[in-house]
Amino acid sequence: MNILFFTRQSKLLKPALLLTTLLLGFVLSLYGQSEFSLQASDLWRLLIAPDSGDIKQQVIVSLRLPRSLVACLIGFNLGVAGLLMQGLTRNPLASPTLFAINSGAACLMALNSIGFAFFSGLPGEVATFLGALCGGLLVFLLGGGLGSQSNPLRLILAGIAINGLLTSLTRAALIIADDKAYSMLHWLSGSLSEVDWQSWSQLWPLSLAALLLALSTTRGLNLNALGEQTATSLGINISWLRIRVCFAVLLLTAISVTLAGPIVFVGLIVPHFARALFKNNHFILLPASGVLGAALVCWTDLFSRAIVPPAETPVGIITALIGTPFFIYLVLKGKL
Amino acid sequence: MTRHTQLLLSGFSLLILLALLSLIMGAEPLPIKTVLQTLIEGGEEDFIVNQYRLPRILIAILVGMGLAISGVLTQGIIRNPLASPDLMGVSAGAGLAACSLLLIWPDISHLWLPPVALLGGFSAALIIYLLNRWHNPSPARLALVGIAISAFLSSCINFLLVLHPIEVNSAMIWLTGSLWGRNWDHLWPLLPWLITLVPFSFYLAWSLDLFALGEETAGALGVNTQGLQTAALLSALALASVSVAVCGSIGFVGLLAPHLARLLVGSRHKLVLPCAALVGALLVLSADTLARNLAPPLELPAGLLTAILGAPYFLFLLHRYKGY
Repeated sequence: MNILFFTRQSKLLKPALLLTTLLLGFVLSLYGQSEFSLQASDLWRLLIAPDSGDIKQQVIVSLRLPRSLVACLIGFNLGVAGLLMQGLTRNPLASPTLFAINSGAACLMALNSIGFAFFSGLPGEVATFLGALCGGLLVFLLGGGLGSQSNPLRLILAGIAINGLLTSLTRAALIIADDKAYSMLHWLSGSLSEVDWQSWSQLWPLSLAALLLALSTTRGLNLNALGEQTATSLGINISWLRIRVCFAVLLLTAISVTLAGPIVFVGLIVPHFARALFKNNHFILLPASGVLGAALVCWTDLFSRAIVPPAETPVGIITALIGTPFFIYLVLKGKL
Repeated sequence: MTRHTQLLLSGFSLLILLALLSLIMGAEPLPIKTVLQTLIEGGEEDFIVNQYRLPRILIAILVGMGLAISGVLTQGIIRNPLASPDLMGVSAGAGLAACSLLLIWPDISHLWLPPVALLGGFSAALIIYLLNRWHNPSPARLALVGIAISAFLSSCINFLLVLHPIEVNSAMIWLTGSLWGRNWDHLWPLLPWLITLVPFSFYLAWSLDLFALGEETAGALGVNTQGLQTAALLSALALASVSVAVCGSIGFVGLLAPHLARLLVGSRHKLVLPCAALVGALLVLSADTLARNLAPPLELPAGLLTAILGAPYFLFLLHRYKGY
């Protein structure tokens, strides 16, 4: 009886810990590290006695809350996108950053915002979606990912080269368009400082749709882990699975880049931790990566405000600083 | 006159032509007569020609040479076509060191830049070396590790630039490599290093040919392989770091120039080295000239243009490379 209870408890322990981490990060980011010297008591008062005249409560509701929500959802999206890519390609290094999906989206987003050619007419989300698509496609075409005997290392190296190319193009476009491009540089490093309620209302419907689509592919991804042939013989339509997964990944990444710029390496790191914590079942891994990603972005956002107040460090720089050593570790561990 | 001498001579004259063109073109186009006159006896346009464009052109040539020679030496020793100082994290390390020096002590003499950058480049190389010792990864994997270390160091630079917001053009120098605002003050600290290192690399070139046959064969033929490896890698490191100290890491030149040179003159190092130096100088100079003239008076960083050229070439190399 005791043992049974213990096992049941430990099964709940990990998800509970994850959610607590996320929740703690969320609450802390609502009042922590603010120029307005907010206190936990302000947050408490907001909950029990909302007062629209109180400036501190207004700051929390109109600035802090959307930012924290967007941070969490973007983290969730990127974590899930990384998991989907790693699941589909069976490549532990697959992620929106390394496959140039992030930078492709950022590139077209920049072209769109400076009003370059026909891109200027498109809404932001469509442009980033197209950019993400182009980035990913280029990597697969030029990295030989479409051939039957594709080498995972080659795919990653191609991804990095295209990443560099697209980033350079983005920077060039920004500089030509505007000699005061410093704020755009900020955005290009992935920053959450510009988000508001409007971004939230832009973000959640598309994210929800993409996440539902992602959820529908979990069974296929589980079987895909056994190898493409096995999956096919078990009744999975691989091409249809690929299309759905790719669409979900592109949507998840594109919408995140539109709002916060490329926040790099979240999609690479998170699935590895999720797999270490939970069983290799995508139905569980998907929410787990999502929550881990949300917690990661939420905490790094908090951290990025804390390092040099009042200046804000773009979140993307912090995730890059965390992500690259992890990337090196993955490469050297040689699971390719 | 052999074919190779002809090739080198024509490359050299091309470089001079390009330099002249670069003196003429810009936000303020000048007639060639004025330029030549100003070069010799000064005059009204002295500032534009002698103080602004000329040092910049000279720096572009020197830096291009430095990066290219560094690339030849690295590829020769590591025998990995994907190796180059900027893909091994050396450029980023040197850039980080130089950039932090300038951000912390903005008024420090430029003479300090090369040694400090050298220290940074050396530390980055040490990390790669240690990782290589511990894990002995395959060449392609090593390239990946080098790129990751570069990315890490670049994020550090990015981070520093957020902490100390500076003018966007100077920030671009450290983010992508640019010759914006470089003048005589930046040229002088560079010179002594290059004057010693370039002839030394030419001296090494004689033994590098034997090294290409494999370490054991080279040893049997009387090459001190250990010494050669150390000397070549150290001078490659120094050349790359010193170049980066002045104008940031202008990407892909160290990768591109040796390959192009080998396409032109085959694989004998005493031909490849001068040829690569010429190609490197041409690359950086033309990138900078183009960068200044695409949308005057705005300036693009030269490093962006070399990256736009270099990244596709890197993809081509990947396509051809078989040793994963």
